[in-house]
Amino acid sequence: MRWLARRSLSAVATLLVVLTLVFGAIHLAPGTPFMPRGDRPPLDAAAVARLQARFGLDQPIAVQYGRYIGALVRGELGESFSARRPVAAMIADAIPNTLLLAAAALAIEFLLGLGISIYQGIHAGSHRDRALTNLTLFIYSLPTFWLGLVLLLVFGERLHWLPVGGITDPAIHDSLSIAGRAVDRIRHLILPAVTLGLIGAAGTARFERPAVIAALHDDYIRSARARGVGSRRILWAHAVRNALLPYITLAGLAFPFLLTGAVVVESVFAWPGMGKLAADAIATRDYPVVMAATLLAAVMVIVGNLAADCCYAVADPRIREASR
Amino acid sequence: MIAAPGEPSTLLPPMTDEALDRDIFDQLFLKLADIGPDGNTVGDQGFRPALAARWDWASPVALVFHLDPRARWHDGRAVTAGDVAFTFASYTDSTIDSPDRANLSHIVSVEARDSATAVFTFDRRYPEMFFDAVYHMRILPAHLLAALPHSQWRTAAFGRTPVGDGPYDLVRWTAGQDVELAADSTFFLGRPHLRRLVWRFTPDLSVAVTQVVAGDADAIQVLVAPDNIERATAASHLTLYRYPGSVYTLVTFNLRANGDRTTAHPILADVAVRRALVLATDRARMAQSILRGHGRVPPGPLSEMWMGLWFSDIVVPPFDTAQADRLLDGRGWKTGRDGIRVRGGTRMTIHLAVPSSSGMRKAYATLLQEELRAVGVEVMIDQMEAATMQDRERTGRFDAAIESWNTDPSATSNLAEAWLEKGPSNFGGYANPRFDSAVGRALASASPGDSRRAWHDALATLASDSPGIILSALDNVAAVDSRVSDVTFRPDYWGADLRNWRIRGDRLTARDRAER
Repeated sequence: MRWLARRSLSAVATLLVVLTLVFGAIHLAPGTPFMPRGDRPPLDAAAVARLQARFGLDQPIAVQYGRYIGALVRGELGESFSARRPVAAMIADAIPNTLLLAAAALAIEFLLGLGISIYQGIHAGSHRDRALTNLTLFIYSLPTFWLGLVLLLVFGERLHWLPVGGITDPAIHDSLSIAGRAVDRIRHLILPAVTLGLIGAAGTARFERPAVIAALHDDYIRSARARGVGSRRILWAHAVRNALLPYITLAGLAFPFLLTGAVVVESVFAWPGMGKLAADAIATRDYPVVMAATLLAAVMVIVGNLAADCCYAVADPRIREASR
Repeated sequence: MIAAPGEPSTLLPPMTDEALDRDIFDQLFLKLADIGPDGNTVGDQGFRPALAARWDWASPVALVFHLDPRARWHDGRAVTAGDVAFTFASYTDSTIDSPDRANLSHIVSVEARDSATAVFTFDRRYPEMFFDAVYHMRILPAHLLAALPHSQWRTAAFGRTPVGDGPYDLVRWTAGQDVELAADSTFFLGRPHLRRLVWRFTPDLSVAVTQVVAGDADAIQVLVAPDNIERATAASHLTLYRYPGSVYTLVTFNLRANGDRTTAHPILADVAVRRALVLATDRARMAQSILRGHGRVPPGPLSEMWMGLWFSDIVVPPFDTAQADRLLDGRGWKTGRDGIRVRGGTRMTIHLAVPSSSGMRKAYATLLQEELRAVGVEVMIDQMEAATMQDRERTGRFDAAIESWNTDPSATSNLAEAWLEKGPSNFGGYANPRFDSAVGRALASASPGDSRRAWHDALATLASDSPGIILSALDNVAAVDSRVSDVTFRPDYWGADLRNWRIRGDRLTARDRAER
């Protein structure tokens, strides 16, 4: 309990430091909000000044920071300069889309990555193991945007198997049955989730392969074999279970990364999630949205770490003992 | 389904002048009248009735609009002259602070003579007074907006759930995804042929083009880059439409010192140097290389929409590096050992700002760097994100910048804003009383002929002063699915005739037939 309280306090301090740094950075960055999009002349100085005064941006940065923290404590995230909506409503719109994409990508990452690593662990040293090692290294080193564009070009633009963007087809989605809507949503999800999940799966496979190999050669596995336990049970009940322990930490870090780090994938596939929201906000200097996205990202990283630590303690009795 | 490179900020017309916002709200709200296919903005010739069935001049400065009695808001209420007067009061209100407010500065008042008659009174007579009266304002429903405090218009819920009087009515706006409009079957000017319009939001132009090429969307109004045009040309289900463009691209020189508006620029304040830089630039070759036939070099800062001002006798310095060398030598800029000119210890180095998001402008920057190097000018390309570049220009912290300006159908506002000494977009600090006087005459003249002659003088002065290098005026090329017929484009607003586009019954797809 004391450990949890200590971690929570440290989390709040971390959050405050992150918010302060980002607040300073975004306000000191060149460029101001209220600039027109596209090939339009920038607003004249008087118009910009009027808008800045309206949103309190003409005040010293310390005053603006104080007001921001005060509003945050009251649970107010402010109003977007560019979308002219409450930031909380924008986040509420974007989060479910990002959660869906992140969950699908994490599932691909986990199932595919673990599957490959188990296969490699069982066939360690074989030609197929070496081929998979090279393949996962190749995929892991691919830039996300490049992989996304290639998948989009091949499966969307050339073969027309899958839609090239968005989360549904707005022309037909509402006219479909419930099952039809689910299929429509899944079809739109496949390319961005595979783009995001495939690279993660390659990383997971490379991370897990040594753990599976080590587990398969551990003393307790030899003992189990000597006791006549079946090889399938040895693999799934003993080796894989133990090899999964380090993955818990990896997953704890990967999930918030998937939530906030999907900027490129969300942009390539016009996926209206948090990553795209944050990227657009930075480009337009939409301070309230940038700060809210930062807050959310920081919270997710902190909570992800905390959850990973808790899971680790639950899964490994030695850690539970050590933390008492 | 239209692929849109972005998402609107609001659909409340006075609050925005962004192109995408306008694309959508112009299907929801009507103007009193609209310019015709010829794009004329002088006098009232060629203007088409919209909300006003007809108009007449009560005096040289009093314009009377007679509203079409069939016009209705989508909630069933009649559109009245009171709505017109309310609209003018809203657009010119200082709290609402509409971007179109300045365009209405010559209109003294708008009054409702009776429920169907609105009277506009101007402070003077000038060529584009009818254009100003009808083009900038979309008439608003007073019965829904009058009670809304002006300070709340910016974020009003009406901006996301508007009630208009146009050919289409809003069905839904799903944040981050799409806007759907449905045809108003009782629209008094004729039921639109396309039953539904959906704007699908994408993060940028290249994603929008991908959606159209892949068949996930049916139309995109402008492809911009030659690469996009070639991709769309290769897609057999698309038809491409070319129409006059509204964008021109130029290098703007800062005539004041970089970061100090009180001092002359050590290199670019000299008109002879600027002329030399223009002479050293083979603009036709660059346009061919970069635009691949999808644009041309105008005689001034003019888009293709202003072809009426492309005067054939205005002489822009031709490509002539020998003459450029002579001019620079004559001004004391001597070539140094590394090939770069120097004068009095000042090296002829120019920082050229270019937005990192524009492939076309980056390509221009690279070619300019190469061509100007040949006459001893060192060009340092400063790539930066658009917001940073706009900030630098606004505060005078640049030597030269490659800009692309999107124009409206009237040259009046754009040319004046960008080049008058006090123009709000005159970032380079260009100042010539002869130009200001010519523009003043063009704006004040009651005669279209006199106005045109004054514009000629203004553009000739600009060409002679070379405050920038005019690079190109882009063609607009749209891509529309071939099953859509009767497609026409008006240069200032591609969707002006959208309600007349149609899909023949035998070409309807399952998506076209889908019911909500």
